[in-house]
Amino acid sequence: MQILWFLFYILIFPGFLFTTFAGLLLAGIDRKVLARMQRRIGPPITQPFYDFVKLMGKETIVPDAASRTAFLTAPVIGFVSLIVTAVVIPIGNFLAFRGIADVIVIIYLLTIPAVAIIIGGASSGSPFSGIGISREMVAIVSYELPLILVLLTVCKKAGMMLSGGMTFSLSDIVVYQFYNGTMVSHWAMIPAAIAFLMIIPGEVGTQPFDIAEAETEICEGTMAEYSGAPLALFELSHAVKMFVMTALFTSLFISGWTTGSIVLDTIIVLAICILVTIISMTLPHASAARLKVEWLFRYYWKIVSALALVSLILVWCGL
Amino acid sequence: MIQHFPVLAIMTLFLASFLVVLFGSRNKIVRGIITMVASTIPLVLMICLIKPIMIEGQVISYWLGNWEPVNGWAIGIGIEVDALSLFFALIVTLTVFLSAFYSLKYMSRDDTLEKYYVLFLMLSGAVLGLVLTGDLFNLFIMIEILTFAAVALTAFRNNEDGPLEAAFKYLVVGSIGSSLTLTGVILLYSQLHTLNMAQISAMLQNGQNSTTVFAFALLLTGFSIKAFIVPVHPVAADAYTAAPTSASMALAGMVNKTGVYGIIRLLYIIFMTMGLSSVQNLIVTIGTVTMFLGVTMALNQHDFKRLLAFHSISQIGYVITAIGLGTALGLTGGLYHAMNHTLFKGMLFLCAGAVLYSAGTTNLDRLGGLAKKMPQTCAIFLIGAFSISGIPPFNGFVSKWLIYQATYERASQTGNFGFALVTVIAVVVSVMTLASFIKVSQSVFFGELPAEFSNVKEAPVSMRIPMWIMAILCILTGVLPAQVYQYLIRPAVNAVLSPVKYINVMMGNGYAEKFLSKVQAAPDKSVALAGYWQPESWLLLFVIVLAAVTVAALLGKKDRGVSSSSAEVTDGKYATFYSGEKNEFSRVGGSDLFWGLKYNLRHYFGFIGNIHSGVVNDYALWAVMIFAVYIVFAFIFLL
Repeated sequence: MQILWFLFYILIFPGFLFTTFAGLLLAGIDRKVLARMQRRIGPPITQPFYDFVKLMGKETIVPDAASRTAFLTAPVIGFVSLIVTAVVIPIGNFLAFRGIADVIVIIYLLTIPAVAIIIGGASSGSPFSGIGISREMVAIVSYELPLILVLLTVCKKAGMMLSGGMTFSLSDIVVYQFYNGTMVSHWAMIPAAIAFLMIIPGEVGTQPFDIAEAETEICEGTMAEYSGAPLALFELSHAVKMFVMTALFTSLFISGWTTGSIVLDTIIVLAICILVTIISMTLPHASAARLKVEWLFRYYWKIVSALALVSLILVWCGL
Repeated sequence: MIQHFPVLAIMTLFLASFLVVLFGSRNKIVRGIITMVASTIPLVLMICLIKPIMIEGQVISYWLGNWEPVNGWAIGIGIEVDALSLFFALIVTLTVFLSAFYSLKYMSRDDTLEKYYVLFLMLSGAVLGLVLTGDLFNLFIMIEILTFAAVALTAFRNNEDGPLEAAFKYLVVGSIGSSLTLTGVILLYSQLHTLNMAQISAMLQNGQNSTTVFAFALLLTGFSIKAFIVPVHPVAADAYTAAPTSASMALAGMVNKTGVYGIIRLLYIIFMTMGLSSVQNLIVTIGTVTMFLGVTMALNQHDFKRLLAFHSISQIGYVITAIGLGTALGLTGGLYHAMNHTLFKGMLFLCAGAVLYSAGTTNLDRLGGLAKKMPQTCAIFLIGAFSISGIPPFNGFVSKWLIYQATYERASQTGNFGFALVTVIAVVVSVMTLASFIKVSQSVFFGELPAEFSNVKEAPVSMRIPMWIMAILCILTGVLPAQVYQYLIRPAVNAVLSPVKYINVMMGNGYAEKFLSKVQAAPDKSVALAGYWQPESWLLLFVIVLAAVTVAALLGKKDRGVSSSSAEVTDGKYATFYSGEKNEFSRVGGSDLFWGLKYNLRHYFGFIGNIHSGVVNDYALWAVMIFAVYIVFAFIFLL
């Protein structure tokens, strides 16, 4: 019976099926809202589902210059590690696997999809992918600094109530918010929350931070040689990453509450995710053009890191 | 019986180095047999010692020539093996074994090979002797043998440009280190009238005077030069690049570990100064600077081996940082990372050697696309690259994760915000490590295959076996951290934190208590983790999801699968898209990557590029400079 529950958690909720569905839904809403902001009608919200099914049915072409094994396994590894990460992110107060949810582990697992994109792009042997992976790597180095600052802030804040003075456990962070109110209700945490909102589009790679895929300059960069099912998996990973990052934001900053019913909790979490998606990804997408590579680096290491550092120092001062 | 094992292991290696030159100078097979037997025996002996020392907690002491202490004064040379020594001895013997195995084929194109093996076995014997000895002067002798064997090995391929220059730099800076160590030993002997480390450790607890404090600075400088921390690191970069790869692996895998071992032994056991927050701040600062400078220099390199060499420096920075925290958790992370570094860095050097052997160059701007020609080397390289960058579930992740926790825990305990910044720097360095290995994978194994390398073959089997052994060990130590901690790391950490037993075994029961009356209560040796990392649960999750994806893919699969062109048919569909550019002009070389990063940090990169002038006078000056810093530090904070 226990095993059946585990399989249910992993494959249905909050794992495979739910995450995929939520991710594609967020992607659809993102496109719709973006279109409305640009005074277009836009595609239906279900469009990402159609796109995915269509791509799955297309022929998969492996270029002659590619190293076949790495080219075909990279998308699968990236997608699977994303799903695995999603399983341990709490939905409201519900946490399927309490014992293994660690913030640092999650951050490192979130780099695996990025590394998968890089290895996949590199193995395709295209010069456009070469430039793409170089830019992807610059993006990772850029957002990792503010990201770790934000996480250390949250860990320190939540750990103040515990004996060790700090915690890296996601369930402890949720428990802290249960007793002390959500993180955003502490004013010292607001700069960190804003910084995390700024990190989300960089981590997901939406415009104006999509330097690695810049289709107008380097022909989709890392994705240049991909087609068919592997491309579909990469697109799916992209959508799922939107959900994982927004859900992570929710559990780090606006969790700890519960309505008592998992269904209701899930719907509220999804609503918050949609809101966060619109604020952090759709708005910048609609209002800004793609950043230059060096601007991206400077933006994250100066502005966003400064915001996160302000919070970290405030929390260290006991606020 | 088992108390003879350590001395037998050291003797085997030294004896074999003479046998090689006596019997092996003509015959390749005899030479190979002597080398392999001599490198296997110490490994077996050390593995036999795991049970009594690591699990049962014994400490083995052995007096050479049966010169036991008289009236409480150690007059003979003693060998003492506690869990810390054994931990490093295991690292050393494993490296020796795999490096010897690899060199059989790798070195086969060189001549005067008996000289290589003499030097190699001398180096191995010296390193093993250094970590097992219990006598300070004996330790100095081992450092001397080690330095000169390492210098000669660096210069082994002296028909190329580079090795002689690198060896000269190593010789100058290494000699400074050795002479300072000797002076330190002499000063301690003049004050305490003994050379036994256990006895020195006990007697120093009577209080320090200005001479012993000066000796502390001298010895710390000596070991820092052996560990190649900033600012004496440029020597290491040159030496690892110029030495034959099997020797580079030995240098990066075990020779710089002797410096780490020396620093631990010196700070935690002989002087017991690690409890002072000033010492912690000093060591953590040096470690942090080392890891950051190492990785940023690595980002700038154009040569595979030189890039690895700078990463070696950077990873030793992690080890030193963790050790400098002075907590059980920090030591756990540091020792774990030292072991992991030996595994993945040795493996990466072997990959570089395989590329050099097959393609004839390690220049990142010329290589490319070798994954199709050398798939196994590529797979091993990727395992190594992910391990060193700390990607789960490989071993580098476990130790780095411990180090992040240890630094942040220390920051919370002491309220020192600087330690929190160390955590941040450690994470950023880890990402930059990933960046530079992405550069290597793109410019060596992926990307386009230049025409000159179209006939490259996979490395021979006897070179791939040691690489696979290390790759498997990398994965095993990554997914079984609890077992590694239980049987290897925890005994070593306990040995470091409880020097009383180390002293008593050597000098007789009750000896330590006479001196250590005012010594602090036993430090807390329990390790409380702030987070969770259970690789088996994550792997299980991963496998289940992978299975689900596979099933879904199989169900949805139509008759038409993945298509790629057969060899005869040339179809435009399978060609790479160049957007009308000629493909010989659109190659992305190694140094073209990370433009955004390099542009933003151009002033910093320019600065560190300039200070690494390559002039040996500068490097000798830096060695003297760090010595001066240590002297000032020691006289201000320790007296």
